[in-house]
Amino acid sequence: MPFLSLQNVHKDFGGVAAVDGVDLGLAAGELRALVGPNGCGKSTVFNLISGSLRATAGRITLDGTELGGQAPHRIARLGVGRKFQVPSVFGDLTVAENLDLAGAAGDRWGSGARPQSHLADRVHLADKTGDLASVLSHGQRQWLEIGMVLAARPRLMLLDEPTAGMTAFETAATVDLIRTMAGENGATILVIEHDTGFLERLDCPVTVMAKGKILATGTYQEIHNDPQVRALYFGNRSDA
Amino acid sequence: MNRLSASFSLTLAAIVFVALALIPVLGSGYWTGQATRYVLFGMFAMSLSLLWGRAGMLTFGHAVFFGIGGYVMATMTMGLFGDGILSELLAQPWIALPVSVGGAALAAAALGWFLFWGRGVSGAYLAIITLSVAVVVEQAVRGFYALGGDNGLVGVPALATWAADPFNPVPMFYTVLVIAAVVYVGLDRLLRSRMGALLTAVSANPDRLGHFGYSVFVVRLGAFVLGAAIAGLAGALFVATDGFASPSLIGFGLSAEVLIWVALGGRNILLAAFLGAVAVRLAESFLSGLLGDFWLLALGMVFMASVVLLPQGLIATPMLWLNNRWNQGNRSNSRDAPGPANDGMV
Repeated sequence: MPFLSLQNVHKDFGGVAAVDGVDLGLAAGELRALVGPNGCGKSTVFNLISGSLRATAGRITLDGTELGGQAPHRIARLGVGRKFQVPSVFGDLTVAENLDLAGAAGDRWGSGARPQSHLADRVHLADKTGDLASVLSHGQRQWLEIGMVLAARPRLMLLDEPTAGMTAFETAATVDLIRTMAGENGATILVIEHDTGFLERLDCPVTVMAKGKILATGTYQEIHNDPQVRALYFGNRSDA
Repeated sequence: MNRLSASFSLTLAAIVFVALALIPVLGSGYWTGQATRYVLFGMFAMSLSLLWGRAGMLTFGHAVFFGIGGYVMATMTMGLFGDGILSELLAQPWIALPVSVGGAALAAAALGWFLFWGRGVSGAYLAIITLSVAVVVEQAVRGFYALGGDNGLVGVPALATWAADPFNPVPMFYTVLVIAAVVYVGLDRLLRSRMGALLTAVSANPDRLGHFGYSVFVVRLGAFVLGAAIAGLAGALFVATDGFASPSLIGFGLSAEVLIWVALGGRNILLAAFLGAVAVRLAESFLSGLLGDFWLLALGMVFMASVVLLPQGLIATPMLWLNNRWNQGNRSNSRDAPGPANDGMV
């Protein structure tokens, strides 16, 4: 069985099927991108895995453990870390406090402080550790949240549009960061992204969703050339 | 920043507590007795600052725990529990005091379990439910004959023989002042630790905190119980000082008053909340004689003006301003010191 496995997962919102029979499997250590037009159910899939929502039907397992019906904090303790689409950091806390709080949860309240300074360094915030998160720029908040997810050392990382609102330079740095993250500790990463430039650079298998269903899975090139996907996602421009 | 730096906060607290310690030296016995009560209300206000200012839990029923502390202390020290030697044992203030604190904490654990389980209630719903609880508990106490009903319990013994002389309130004043200082230092340290960050986080975005692996239920319940325990301690010491436990200590009225003290002082800053309670009670004792029934009107108008013009609080706003000046001064003194290493940046 794959490390992360979704089997025939459904989620209805008052009769509207947001997720309509999704089967998805990620091997341990795999890096996978999840793409699709707005409203296709990508974020709902994240909400179902991380426990924000409960599936109407189907099974979701992590390393064989059933996630369905568990509270978000329990799923987090099983090793699922999540970066939200809108950067969700604690604005009234400093960068250092944000990282410390996220890292301590991995230790189950861990009283022993683990130095998180190397993480601030990795997400390019080493000179901002004493600043309140609310004064950071949008891109820096995205990085801080990625740093917080890393601090908890999850086995599965769900990254929802990690480069939204970033400059080209920041996006490139983020791709490098995600590729390094994928290489170390055997972490499995599922990333939602719209930016085709980002996807090309990330160079990993891509799963395409449309209207709550999985449409196709393949390499970036395969997906890029798939006529069905082109019609749906990239449009029919001749240069695409 | 809406926080005080550690060094500034400690300096300011030292000044405040030393100034309070001079009251018996400079003032009359009457004012020392009054000041004892103000300090206890200040302690009560600090416990609400923890809940409301930090953990974002707006409660309209915090006096329930102040009152439970008070009534447990009163009934135990008056020997209303058990009989014979057991009654005498339970009447010992040094046994009754921790039991009062525990009673308030236990009541908060029971209520908090109900309030915060699952997704839990917060915001306006929490305010409405706690308000109803305060009204119900006050009515129950008023109708409970064994607790003295409307009249309350009169003749609650003092904490000890050295505190029993009604003409010498000084020993009790210093006892209360030291306890308040210890509570202040303890809470200040707690709020500067990871627990403080956790409370700020649970207030700002509980769902996000859950996704990092923290149980929002446990964090909220823990804060609620701790706040109630401190309120219970203040309540127990209050009835031992006053010699009187009345239903007005446990109801909606005092719950709303403490909210006003804390809002006026500044809910985010412990010391400001503490001073808010002391200042309003002090102003009341001067002005209620002068203004009569208009005192409440005046207080209400000051409250409205404060909420609109100085939402951080009348006392917290100048504190934060001084804090920034203090820290700028410190920074310019240490300008030559090497800054943090900044290698490894892209």
